[in-house]
Amino acid sequence: MGIKGPTTEQLLDMYAAMWRIRLFEEQAEYQSGQGKVLGALHTYIGQEAVGVGICAHLTDADYITSTHRGHGHCISKGADVRRMMAELFGRVTGYCKGKGGSMHIADFAVGMLGANGIVAGGFGLATGAGLAAQVRESGQVAVCFFGDGAVNRGPFHENINLGAVWRLPVVYVCENNQYAQWTPQEEITLVTDVASMSSAYGIPGAQVDGMDVLSVYQAAGEAVDRARRGEGPTLLECKTYRFHGHNFGDPQQYRTKEEISDWSGQHDPIQGLGDHLQREGVLTAEEAESIRNSVQEEIAGAVRFADESPYPGPEELTRDVFSTPVA
Amino acid sequence: MLGTMYSILSPGGNVQSGARIPSLALDQQLHLYRLMCLNRRVDDQMIRLQRQGRLGFYVGSQGEEAAIIGSAFALEPRDWVVPCYRELGAALVKGFPLIDLFSQFFGNSRDLTKGRQMPNHYANHDLRVTSISSPVGSQIPHAIGLALGARLAGNDDVALVYFGDGATSQGDFHVATNFAGVFKTPTILFCRNNQWAISVPVESQTASRNMAVKATAYGIEGVRVDGNDIFAVYDVTSKAVAKARRGEGPTLIEAVTYRRGGHSTSDDPNSYRDDAEVEPWIERDPILRFRLYLTRQGHWDDDKEQALEDEVRATIRNSLDEAFRSGPPSLDTVFEDVYDEMPWHLREQMESVCTPEEFQTVEQGT
Repeated sequence: MGIKGPTTEQLLDMYAAMWRIRLFEEQAEYQSGQGKVLGALHTYIGQEAVGVGICAHLTDADYITSTHRGHGHCISKGADVRRMMAELFGRVTGYCKGKGGSMHIADFAVGMLGANGIVAGGFGLATGAGLAAQVRESGQVAVCFFGDGAVNRGPFHENINLGAVWRLPVVYVCENNQYAQWTPQEEITLVTDVASMSSAYGIPGAQVDGMDVLSVYQAAGEAVDRARRGEGPTLLECKTYRFHGHNFGDPQQYRTKEEISDWSGQHDPIQGLGDHLQREGVLTAEEAESIRNSVQEEIAGAVRFADESPYPGPEELTRDVFSTPVA
Repeated sequence: MLGTMYSILSPGGNVQSGARIPSLALDQQLHLYRLMCLNRRVDDQMIRLQRQGRLGFYVGSQGEEAAIIGSAFALEPRDWVVPCYRELGAALVKGFPLIDLFSQFFGNSRDLTKGRQMPNHYANHDLRVTSISSPVGSQIPHAIGLALGARLAGNDDVALVYFGDGATSQGDFHVATNFAGVFKTPTILFCRNNQWAISVPVESQTASRNMAVKATAYGIEGVRVDGNDIFAVYDVTSKAVAKARRGEGPTLIEAVTYRRGGHSTSDDPNSYRDDAEVEPWIERDPILRFRLYLTRQGHWDDDKEQALEDEVRATIRNSLDEAFRSGPPSLDTVFEDVYDEMPWHLREQMESVCTPEEFQTVEQGT
């Protein structure tokens, strides 16, 4: 309660940001099919409302940690899509100079502490970032994004317990997309409502419709405010769904086509916000189209930028490894 | 600090109104009482020996005897005890001979683990007592594995795993308990909440209101019991064991107790806690409580107490003498149990460090 906004400007920004994620991911999949993306690709399509609704409450000074499905978090936090695409293409202009790929994009300038190929790998980083903020009394907040699979790993438990007992300014955000890679959630835990686990840690838990950016925005606002006031962490569960496979090329034999089309047809978060804005008279159909087109241009520019950038030279092999370069 | 918990006996040894004493024959009750006294005496004796420089290390359980012995007594001989490191009483319930325990403490030639383990790290697989597990919480997945193994083998053995309040903050607790819940393994997760994880008080350990509530995060049953009440501990553990045996899955039991001594002989609790905090727990002593009950029932008196005291002292003395008489393990045992067939380079090493005469000398314990 008491969460103001979002303002019209914020709503339009969120709408554009969700399109930015969607179109970036669609383009990344297309380019991967063309053989241009080096390494694995995990897209955020369907989950856009989570990253966008939460990061709307954060500034560049606040921290987030991400997952293997990290593009949406990067874009929500304000990372540059050109350097992201270049990283996917393995080019020297990418965030990791083309040496990291999709699962290692980080942008410290906007508080994005990194995607992470290790399931549950972000917990320690976010909790540590929260501790640093508490020690420095900086008022910063750290948000830890993780999936339902990560809930069953040790770092989830250890870090939320520690964050709770030290009242750290961290928001633990479970993007419950119901599948840990190919495994349905109910096969690997008896407690499918992750938010209810908060009672085991003595912190508040909240569950929201992760396909509805306004619900996410509201719940995230309360959790972020609470963290900023020094009242400790919240476990926020966003029920969501990834419209595409675990990774690009996943045959998805573990779920039905009907289930997928039901979610993408009935619960598309971008369409949901677009319809809402048009109903409220904030946006006309033409304006919506124009936002989408402008983002599409931006993504096309990112692909051009990546295409035109060189690959890292052999001299990059030994750079960024030791503080004193190897002779 | 204590909160709501299941109990049968009041600290004064009276039966709480509405509570029922579990069906234990008098000789079983007296056996339990003896084991608690034996546990306390062994602890006292070992700590003295450690202070005299005759034992390297020891972990005592003063004040926690009811939690440990009452729970282990709910098991059948075929069930597994998977200890942490403060469950000497459970080993005694399982029939672990004192001489085997003492031989392990001193690492002598009678030690079943051949002097290779740190003192206090005993194991006896014939008795279904797995090795003491020092890395905090690491034994919990082992217990789940043993329980799953029993089920896959088609028998109804159960595994009871002990851990402290500190271990509940470990990832191993989390992953193992989740697994146990999903696969309904016949496991009893027994948390001795003795309020201290070495120097960390339980209030700094977790923000949750108690340990039993953590069961809700795994969709399993959590029970909170007065850990200084032998009957209550036995009762809740028996029910959890029966449930596990029926194939209805695990239970998390939180036994609320108190670590009266240091964490181990390497710890000085005076540096981080007040003696005043310990005082009320002396009044809540589990042995005293049980003795007051037995006395009120007309089953115990000062003469019997004295006789038991004498017997326990003599038993400990005899086993200690025997353990002291045994020398260290022979040097050649260093080379055993690594390869099925000893490779030539190890054989060469062995021959270079010990001649056949030396083996003999070492074995004679001179």
